[in-house]
Amino acid sequence: MRERPWPRIGWRNIGRNPRRTVLTALGLAVGFFAVVFMIGWSRGITAELVENATSLVSGQIEIHHAEYRPDRSMFDTLGGREGIDVDAMLEVIDADEGVTAAAPRVYAGGLVSSGEATSAGMFMGVDPEREVALTRFLDELVAGRLPEPGALEMLIGEEMGRQLAVGVGDELVLVGSAADGSMANDLYTVAGVFRTGLVEFDARTAVLAIGDLQALIYLDPARIHEIAVATADPAEADAVAARLAAAIDAGGREIEVAPWTVLNPVLVDYVGLADSMYWIFIVIIFAIASFGIANTMLMATFERRREFAVMLALGATPRAIVGTVLSEAAAVGLLSLAIGSAVTFPLMVWWATAPPSLAWLFGSVTLQGALLEPSLRVGYDPAGWTWSALGLVLTALLAALYPAAKAARVPPADTLSGL
Amino acid sequence: MFRWCARILVLAVAGGLAAAPAAAQTDPMEIIDRVDRLLRGDSSRGVATMEVVTEHWEREMTMEVWSLGTDYSLVRLRAPRRDAGTATLMAGDDIWNYLPKVDRTIKIPASMMGGSWMGSHFTNDDLVKESRLVDDYDVELAFEGERDGVDVWELRLTPKPEAAVVWGHMAFLVRQRDSMPLWARYYDEDGELARTMEYSAFTEMGGRLVPGVMDMVPADKPEERTSFRYEELEFDVDLDTSFFSLRTLQRGR
Repeated sequence: MRERPWPRIGWRNIGRNPRRTVLTALGLAVGFFAVVFMIGWSRGITAELVENATSLVSGQIEIHHAEYRPDRSMFDTLGGREGIDVDAMLEVIDADEGVTAAAPRVYAGGLVSSGEATSAGMFMGVDPEREVALTRFLDELVAGRLPEPGALEMLIGEEMGRQLAVGVGDELVLVGSAADGSMANDLYTVAGVFRTGLVEFDARTAVLAIGDLQALIYLDPARIHEIAVATADPAEADAVAARLAAAIDAGGREIEVAPWTVLNPVLVDYVGLADSMYWIFIVIIFAIASFGIANTMLMATFERRREFAVMLALGATPRAIVGTVLSEAAAVGLLSLAIGSAVTFPLMVWWATAPPSLAWLFGSVTLQGALLEPSLRVGYDPAGWTWSALGLVLTALLAALYPAAKAARVPPADTLSGL
Repeated sequence: MFRWCARILVLAVAGGLAAAPAAAQTDPMEIIDRVDRLLRGDSSRGVATMEVVTEHWEREMTMEVWSLGTDYSLVRLRAPRRDAGTATLMAGDDIWNYLPKVDRTIKIPASMMGGSWMGSHFTNDDLVKESRLVDDYDVELAFEGERDGVDVWELRLTPKPEAAVVWGHMAFLVRQRDSMPLWARYYDEDGELARTMEYSAFTEMGGRLVPGVMDMVPADKPEERTSFRYEELEFDVDLDTSFFSLRTLQRGR
């Protein structure tokens, strides 16, 4: 079978006017970069959002009594009235390879008072060492240090300190309902001040050593409300949660092991929405690029009318003409893809590994329980890249369809006679 | 709540006093208005036991209670020993708690007024938000006649349009014989029963016939209750507003 020369003719034609070809290809390459970058950046923002929302205070997985959520009654402790062997359960959880940290917690509500000023508060009992490994909000305190277990010390949010006009070294009274119905109250020294950036949380939360809070509210040391668990990657949380549920026999003991996807469904919806946006990027950016290609191809075919007329006169079919023009467009597309990739991927690698901060441009933002430090962090998304590359080549081909049809309909006799 | 218990007591007492000239007796507005006028300036001191039963715990507290009119009351726990000395002062719309363990006085912030008082089924608001019933409610006689062999009046109290009250409406059942209240029912804005206060053990204290026991039962948790039982009660004691001060609250009498 005879070799078909049309693709080769098309390919060679891109060298006919190198400057025009390069400019066209650059247009498409920039479009490709824009799409890949926008998708990557949107991925980066959602990844940061999820990591922040799940690592700031809550953890990627929370383990509760099956009835603890949503009422958060102080009586719904893990293991019910008898409680659990906290250390043994932590050991089982720590043993899972997907778990990077786990920490027990006790919660209670009540009043925080300086004497002059009083506000409603949420008391959070934590194991300071484990908590620091798990979450970020205690990593860098605004002032002071972590509370010493047993020393009646506590941490307060920055906003609470401002509202009550107290700081490190001052004394505060905590008042709450104890598990036996009595009015729990005691005096604590502020050891440190933390800031999450979540104003509501910073205004309401007082953090105590877990044993101190259990003593305050007459809760047995075996009774805790929550074990928060961190995983290396938020995306693994569902799988790790399922493994942990099996490991601690959650079903048989009325225990709920809930990953963040269950605890924070709004966040899941948001991530889904952000992911679906990249189709919009692809369509808009390539639609703009396609008009540029169409224009160039139209000019290129117009100036070669006589060439097409000769080819047709020598017996080439109109299909063959369409074939050469589309081949040329495909060649331009592939060239742009090469240029685009050469520019895009090094930048993507740079921004993925060491994202430049954009804090100078935006300041920080709170969204869905997460504090975002804006940066050019991008996420890798091979599926998005593939679709973008396909989009680019398809754009080049679609934009060349009309010029190709025009070229195929060149009337040979009229054109060659100079009309 | 004391004020509010006191109100019921006085309502009963007033009813009893008024029972003699029986003529205008069944005008419900007049009964309650007379009650309110009688209540002003009326003072009392008593010792009561409050028993709270919840799904998770049961608890009994003994307390001494002083009240003056509708605006002032002071409560100090005597038992259990761990909480002895804990005290609450109500003056106007404000509540302060004194905590002897830490020797501090704390004013309850507005955002916590809906919270439970001493773990009972009464909220802090219950203790202070009882203004004059006739100011806030339209009173009508819903039923008059015999029920379970006892002649009673059932009064229905509907909030006036501008009244800042939490209840959709209230109902009182009052025994005709001695004007003792038998129960009070509190309905939310959807007309659902929210809680019931039952009165029993009518007895003479401080020279007046009073219900010695009051039981509060929340409608959504019928197995829970707060019972309030008077051990001692005297009226027209020598108290004035200066007694109801933060200083008295902290001094431990």
